[in-house]
Amino acid sequence: MTKDLLKKKKTKDIKIYCDITKCVGCRSCEIACAVEHSKSKDIFSAIKEKALPKKRVKAENINNKIISLHCQHCEDAPCIKACMSGALSKDEKTGATLQDKDKCVGCWMCVMSCPFGAIVQDVENHIAVKCDLCPDREDFACVAACPTGALFVGTKEEFEKKVKKK
Amino acid sequence: MSEKHIQRSYDPASQKMIKKAESDNVKIAWDRYDAMQPQCGFGELGLCCKVCNMGPCRIDPFGEGPQEGVCGATKDTIVARNLTRMIAAGSAAHSDHGRDIAHTLLLAARGQTHDYKLKDTEKLKKVALLYGIDINGKSIEKIGEELGEKCLSEFGQQEGELKMTKRAPAKRLALWRKLGIVPRGIDREVVEIMHRTTMGVDNDYKNIINHGMRTALADGWGGSMIATELSDILFGSPKPIRATVNLGVLKEDQVNIVVHGHEPTLSDVVQQAAKDPELVALAKKYGAKGINLAGMCCTANEILMRHGIPSAGNFLQQELAILTGAVELMMVDVQCVMPALSVAANCFHTKLVTTSPKCKFPGVEHVEFKEERALEIARNIIRMGVENFKNRAKERIEIPKEIRGLVAGFTTENTFHILGGKYRATFRPLNDAIISGRLRGAAGVVGCNNPNIRQDWAHVSMVKELIKHDVLVVQTGCSAIACAKEGLLTPESAFKLAGRGLQEICQAVGIPPVLHVGSCVDNSRILIILSQVIKEGGLGEDLSDIPVAAAAPEWMSEKAVAIGFYAVASGVYTIFGTPQPVLGSENVTNYIAAELENIVGGKFAFEADPIRAAQMMIKHIDKKREALKLPPLMYEREPVRMTNND
Amino acid sequence: MKYLIIGGSAAGVACAETLRKHDKSSEIAVISDEVFPLYSRCLLTYLLAGSIDESKLYFKDKTFYEDNNIKFYLCKKAVSIDRKEKSITLKDRTKISYDKLLLATGASPKLVDVPGIDKKGVFTVRKIDDARSIMKMLNKVERIAVLGGGLIGLRDAYALRQRGKEVAVIVKSPQVLSQMVDKQAASLIAARLEKNGIKIMTGLAAKEIIGKEFVEEVLLDNGEKIKCQMIIIGKGVKANTELAASCGLKVEEGIVVDEFLKTSDENIFAAGDCAQTYDIARGERRINALWPCAVEQGERAALNMLDKKIKYDGSLSMNSVDFFGLASISMGVTKPKEEKDYEIISQVKNNIYKKFVLKENVIVGMVLVGDIKPAGIISILIKNRIDVSSIKHLLLDDNFDYAKIMPLVAKYKDKFKLEECKDTIITY
Repeated sequence: MTKDLLKKKKTKDIKIYCDITKCVGCRSCEIACAVEHSKSKDIFSAIKEKALPKKRVKAENINNKIISLHCQHCEDAPCIKACMSGALSKDEKTGATLQDKDKCVGCWMCVMSCPFGAIVQDVENHIAVKCDLCPDREDFACVAACPTGALFVGTKEEFEKKVKKK
Repeated sequence: MSEKHIQRSYDPASQKMIKKAESDNVKIAWDRYDAMQPQCGFGELGLCCKVCNMGPCRIDPFGEGPQEGVCGATKDTIVARNLTRMIAAGSAAHSDHGRDIAHTLLLAARGQTHDYKLKDTEKLKKVALLYGIDINGKSIEKIGEELGEKCLSEFGQQEGELKMTKRAPAKRLALWRKLGIVPRGIDREVVEIMHRTTMGVDNDYKNIINHGMRTALADGWGGSMIATELSDILFGSPKPIRATVNLGVLKEDQVNIVVHGHEPTLSDVVQQAAKDPELVALAKKYGAKGINLAGMCCTANEILMRHGIPSAGNFLQQELAILTGAVELMMVDVQCVMPALSVAANCFHTKLVTTSPKCKFPGVEHVEFKEERALEIARNIIRMGVENFKNRAKERIEIPKEIRGLVAGFTTENTFHILGGKYRATFRPLNDAIISGRLRGAAGVVGCNNPNIRQDWAHVSMVKELIKHDVLVVQTGCSAIACAKEGLLTPESAFKLAGRGLQEICQAVGIPPVLHVGSCVDNSRILIILSQVIKEGGLGEDLSDIPVAAAAPEWMSEKAVAIGFYAVASGVYTIFGTPQPVLGSENVTNYIAAELENIVGGKFAFEADPIRAAQMMIKHIDKKREALKLPPLMYEREPVRMTNND
Repeated sequence: MKYLIIGGSAAGVACAETLRKHDKSSEIAVISDEVFPLYSRCLLTYLLAGSIDESKLYFKDKTFYEDNNIKFYLCKKAVSIDRKEKSITLKDRTKISYDKLLLATGASPKLVDVPGIDKKGVFTVRKIDDARSIMKMLNKVERIAVLGGGLIGLRDAYALRQRGKEVAVIVKSPQVLSQMVDKQAASLIAARLEKNGIKIMTGLAAKEIIGKEFVEEVLLDNGEKIKCQMIIIGKGVKANTELAASCGLKVEEGIVVDEFLKTSDENIFAAGDCAQTYDIARGERRINALWPCAVEQGERAALNMLDKKIKYDGSLSMNSVDFFGLASISMGVTKPKEEKDYEIISQVKNNIYKKFVLKENVIVGMVLVGDIKPAGIISILIKNRIDVSSIKHLLLDDNFDYAKIMPLVAKYKDKFKLEECKDTIITY
């Protein structure tokens, strides 16, 4: 993927897909995600930060099939319905499922209702943690870090077209 | 974005070729480096272990995931094992090079090749004595044969101590003995690293790293030192010599042959063959004015030091040389030869030829080098280049004009000749200059290029900062070439850039403030220089007492790690630019960057900013001066402003 | 069209928001009998605990009603419905007409019939006023008795313990959280509470609240007396069905609705804690008085008020609690009555408890204590009634994650109703 393509941001139609056939489980996405959500945004410093940054993406597998999975920003998001503090909401323009950390009380209702297990507990800060689509950068840290091009940004049609080519 | 070429390299010649690569649509190291971003965090931190098939295992540096491998190896164990394996690889590379030189020496002494002679008989005798060879009444050939055999046997030696370690000051050798890190044999230590770090053996990170030091010492005081000393015997010890450097040494109207890699056995005969009247005549027949031989990387340094053959550049210029469109042939032997060369060569008429059975490229013509028929093979290869001249695409030729003069060829032996003046062959003047405070001390700035830092910039900036503060700099390898391209390896640069004390020394003896002592195996020369300084007296009893420091600001090779470790194990404070892959383990990092100082006197530091690194070196040198109770610097106009706290 | 919603909490607001999303012009009105708009009832215990202040109680922007052009009646109570005339009357006699009406009247705390319950210092925690009154009195109080060891009682107790009070919980059942979890889970949770200074007294009930004007002690049915200056009744809730019943709508435990969340009147819908809906896991009608159910029902009711005729699959009971860092989640059937009809897969290890209840290879219930990571993934297996026979052996795995159910998503693609699940298996 060219670097320009990587710069696509989430819209209602565009999201991050994982090509299971290309994911090698190197967990570079996890590292990149944690670094992106650190204070320093530098791996050497990030691993020494007092509150270690939390990754929001996870390389998961069953047998030899590996998927790099993060919040799918569901259109009809169960987590938003479950959130009783109003911390989770839908950005109607981009379709992103956003979290207002200040409003999160750590009731774990979203953890309970996310079908992907993509919302995790930050036990130290007692708040839920999820993919925020990298607001500080033009692209997505996980996608940019993917050494095999398994992570793809685009519409469903584009993704299907790409994986069919093989 | 149009400034990309400037961000990538400090060297204007390289900048031009980087631009050309873009317009010619040739991918070069920097492009591949960019494409590789971001690089794997596990690897950067040293936290990936793949020594057995239960793995690969990776330790999560963020603490959420696994904290030990399947076997239970902790991050300390994994980082230490990976690091030590780098030392093994680096030591193996230098030492295998040394082995080949020893083998050539033996062939020459036995008369099994006529293309090499024992040129420096004085040094032959000196080294033979060191090896306990009775030279009385023996012919040069006999001594050479015995020395060759003795040296070769040290590679497979199982017990005892490497002979060259006796050259270290007594106190240092005693310390190594106490720590149990005197190398027993060269190959043995490398093999033992592989054994210790395989699945289920050593998992005490300190024990692992201590053996790493022993192996590194087997490189610095063994393999590399054998390579250096026997090369001097075979090819002649270098003498100060003027030469030129950078891509501008390539000539538009001549057949350009570039010899790239590391070993002098090939390059030394190639420089003879290039003068062959028959080949020169052939070149003229094809319309060239002659045959122009240029070096690249350390093999360049070998023939630069001894014959003044120009160097076309350092590590990151290997592809750029081909991009000039003017290189008829590039022959390579071993080490630091990018596999990408074949791709670059395919984009031009350049013929790439491999020569070592250890280093072949798929689809690239291989002309195997044999010491027994060296000159003949060298002639054949040059002929291939000459015949390729007609295939040049003239319109694609662009040779940067940049070319610089330099003085190279400094060695342990001739350096003190120089510093002592013609009639005082002694280290006394060097020691006195440091003791009196005219010189602050000395620094070795060595190592590679790496696309992760602007090419040459770190070398040049660091060296300028050091000489400005009256630190005499000795250099090897790609670092020396980087500074040569900047003109720092000329006596004239002393007056522009050196501090007043260093200026006076340079003026008095007519040397540059930055001394080129050779290729990367020639870092062993620095060990001997330091040992001589101790022998001369007045600057302590051990190598770690001397006000010196070392740095590899743009390192990339495993060989740099081996060199770093033999420097540290020899008591030298050593700064690497980007960190070694150890930061994943706080314990290992702390061990090599702090605790080692109390054990072996030297330690590592990692500092990517070359100016800050230079200041750290200066601070360390001052610390050593203070410990020796030396007076303040003679011309310290103002105290050095330190911008960081180490 | 004129849409009218009675109730301004989870279900009511979700309904109003969904209506406005699909219908930009019609009149929408919400009536609330509360004094504070748009606050999340579930946050009241966090307010009590002192971990948030009142400004954090909002679950929508303060300007939600203005922004969405919704007419909002604060502090107004609807007292009657005229189904023929299609209008409601407020306590102040104001009449408001409607075309479609949603009853989201919620629930009220169950009280206990104990002498002395009218003494000062006896509270329930349902509305913001309750919380404010408790907090006003709190600095004069050292010891508190909580009546009820269910979710509400324990949350109240946990909140007040965080204020440093001596708290005792009087639980009628032999275990805490008897509606939510089994004995094993309850004992782990109770142990965590006790370790952190909350006294759990099971198998006991209050017989009398003693004191002059204010509460002084509570007498238990074993004769024991507990000194306390405050009593919190945390016994669960009952649906507010009076309004619905008064106009002749069908009411059982809650307001009875069909699969379109419609009451027995075709213009009147009900959602949230007052509505009795189909329970997916149990296969019966029941009230799941839970925030996520209320939101979902409010949304779904709105779609049907818009005449989109979209079925509501039913609700799944699920609860999440976190006491002193011990997180627990329960879902569906956690304590099947007829054990022989069910398969139980469970494990206790290092104070982590996992239990899955299956019926004919379909998960119908779950309890997780200490490690709640897999909860959401299990929830879709329950909701979509997926045959999990092929991954049963993985359920107790520490590393159970979404990937483990990918083969099921691929196999039963059409059963997984969430579109995004399908996206994950494009290349599977």
